[in-house]
Amino acid sequence: MSDVVVLSNVSKEYPLGKLVVPALKEVSLSIGAGEFVSIAGPSGSGKTTLLNLVGCVDTPTSGAVIVDGLDTARLSERDLTRLRLEKLGFIFQSFNLIAVLDTFQNVEFPLLLQGKQSRKERREVVSELLERVGLDKHHHHRPNELSGGQRQRVAIARALVTRPRIVLADEPTANLDTGTGGAIIDLMKSINETQGTTFIFSTHDARVMKHADRVIRLEDGRIVSSGDIAPNGAAGSRPELSVQEGPAPYLAGE
Amino acid sequence: MGRLLLIAARNLMQNRRRTALLSAAIVAVTMLLVLLGSLGNGIQATLLEAGTAMLTGHVNVGGFYKITSGMGSPILVEAERTLKDVRELVPESAQIVDRRRGFGKIVSESDTVQGALTGIDATNEDALRGVLRIVEGSLDSLGGEDLSILLFQKQAERLKVSVGDDVTLSSQVVRGQTNALKVRVGAIAKDMGLISIMSSYVSKNVLRDLYQLDPDTTGVIMVYLDDPDQAATVKAKLREGLLQRNHRLMEDEPDAFYHKFQQVAGEDWTGMKLDVTTWEDELANVQWTMKTFDTITSLLIGVLLVIVIIGVMNTMWITVRDRTREIGTLRAIGMGRLRVLVMFLLETVILSTVSALLGVSLGAAIAGLLNWLQIPVSPGFQIFLMSDTLRLVVAPYSLVMAVVVVPLLTTFGALFPASRAARLKPVTAMQHAG
Repeated sequence: MSDVVVLSNVSKEYPLGKLVVPALKEVSLSIGAGEFVSIAGPSGSGKTTLLNLVGCVDTPTSGAVIVDGLDTARLSERDLTRLRLEKLGFIFQSFNLIAVLDTFQNVEFPLLLQGKQSRKERREVVSELLERVGLDKHHHHRPNELSGGQRQRVAIARALVTRPRIVLADEPTANLDTGTGGAIIDLMKSINETQGTTFIFSTHDARVMKHADRVIRLEDGRIVSSGDIAPNGAAGSRPELSVQEGPAPYLAGE
Repeated sequence: MGRLLLIAARNLMQNRRRTALLSAAIVAVTMLLVLLGSLGNGIQATLLEAGTAMLTGHVNVGGFYKITSGMGSPILVEAERTLKDVRELVPESAQIVDRRRGFGKIVSESDTVQGALTGIDATNEDALRGVLRIVEGSLDSLGGEDLSILLFQKQAERLKVSVGDDVTLSSQVVRGQTNALKVRVGAIAKDMGLISIMSSYVSKNVLRDLYQLDPDTTGVIMVYLDDPDQAATVKAKLREGLLQRNHRLMEDEPDAFYHKFQQVAGEDWTGMKLDVTTWEDELANVQWTMKTFDTITSLLIGVLLVIVIIGVMNTMWITVRDRTREIGTLRAIGMGRLRVLVMFLLETVILSTVSALLGVSLGAAIAGLLNWLQIPVSPGFQIFLMSDTLRLVVAPYSLVMAVVVVPLLTTFGALFPASRAARLKPVTAMQHAG
């Protein structure tokens, strides 16, 4: 299994007035293609920062972030935008749909940005995806006409429509009730299994974590454990599985 | 682009109150732009029509005659020969007339008024007939051998005369002596602003007799063109042609003939020289007033546009603030900076274009309504306008300008907030608390 995400000694600090607040400290990890990985940890532990760095919407203070073999520090703003459009999908806690577009248009939007497909091809892809997420009857509903679970399904469809290698989900179930949240995770897992898409999602909900192949637990900006799930749903501590402390092997000589 | 347009349009619809307020401001400014422009055009057109009918041709060949080097009179000798030359040099002219020029007092038993006297043959004066509104008598009385005068209403009231009464003209003639001549009031016309205060029309023979001139003299040859914009070209052609035909010409001085007496008196020559001018030269004073009016109008419109631009900028700042998280999302899912910029600018383009079109339509409609209502203007304004009613001329080019300029400027106002939105780091935008 090749790695689609590699973080090597990544630190991220945020200036706060005269203070510097560290959000991530010397984090190194790698995530293989097709993994269904959960980033767990309490609020302020650095989960969102880590996802932002992998998603190329933020830059590390130090260290290297490799996405699909590309060192993001060496990419221009335009290349990073292209990388996000072609290789990454995003699912947000608050869904972040475009309020003035309907379900179909929201999902179709990344394809329009890509500009590669004909209208007919886009229609086919979007319709198929909406059917997959159970929204085939809601093409023309605007976000404010959908329930929270439906909105998150739209967001999932939007994240998947470009067939990205990696989907990043920041607390995708946080704004949903337990049942709907479970259904969303099931949907993500199903897509992961059938399409081989890598999912990296943050959560602090143990019931959500138990669906993950692997849980990377963060505390105070550091990885404290990484491994598969214990029967009670808690993450085990198996750093030898995929997490390397220190630089990733192939970066060691750089 | 289609989807960006859709987003922009729907966002405008979503923020109805904000959109309505800004749109109303743009509509109002565009409407004012059209109305003020139409007013300026109307005044210009009225002045051009009235001025070129009453005071000047589109191109004029005036004469200055000096018996001694210190004194000049507005007399063109060898009128027939000069008229023939002008006709040959400007075959494209619509009409050529000649008038005598003089200055004197009009004396009745009650009062005296003083001003310019213009000697006309009314049978040739179609343009003048078109602008003068005769309230008593007939302009034809200035077309024959009769010694007649046309007075304007206020002059007649002051002199307490009516058609058929006699008045006496008194004028200093070439050799310094004063001549007087009795003439009959042949017509009374409605006042026409400044001109009607300072001048009146007499039949040509009146000035011949008053100044004891040779029949082969006149004051000015006035050339009317189908296209007044060709006046400068025709003037240049006439100057060259008249010189080739051995006429003496004064230096080209773009000013009205009545401003040139002092200059002519100070020059060291005798005999006659021709002075070729355009209507713009002769109406230089009026043009100056028009330019002042245009400047004030432009300043006013400029201030209004600045206010609208600030309004647009302010609205865009609010829009960008409100939609910062949306910008972050769009950037995260792969929208480039340029597209974000275009998306925001499109909102302003749509809003300002629709509003400008509405403003232009309303402005043109109101201008039409005001024309239809024939709104009277105040006596003070009449002096300047040479008309007693307001007239607005909606020029198609000014409508097109308004529809282009207003959206361009407002879009320019939106550029700064929109580019700031485009430059936002995705993570900063996504973490925005608003």
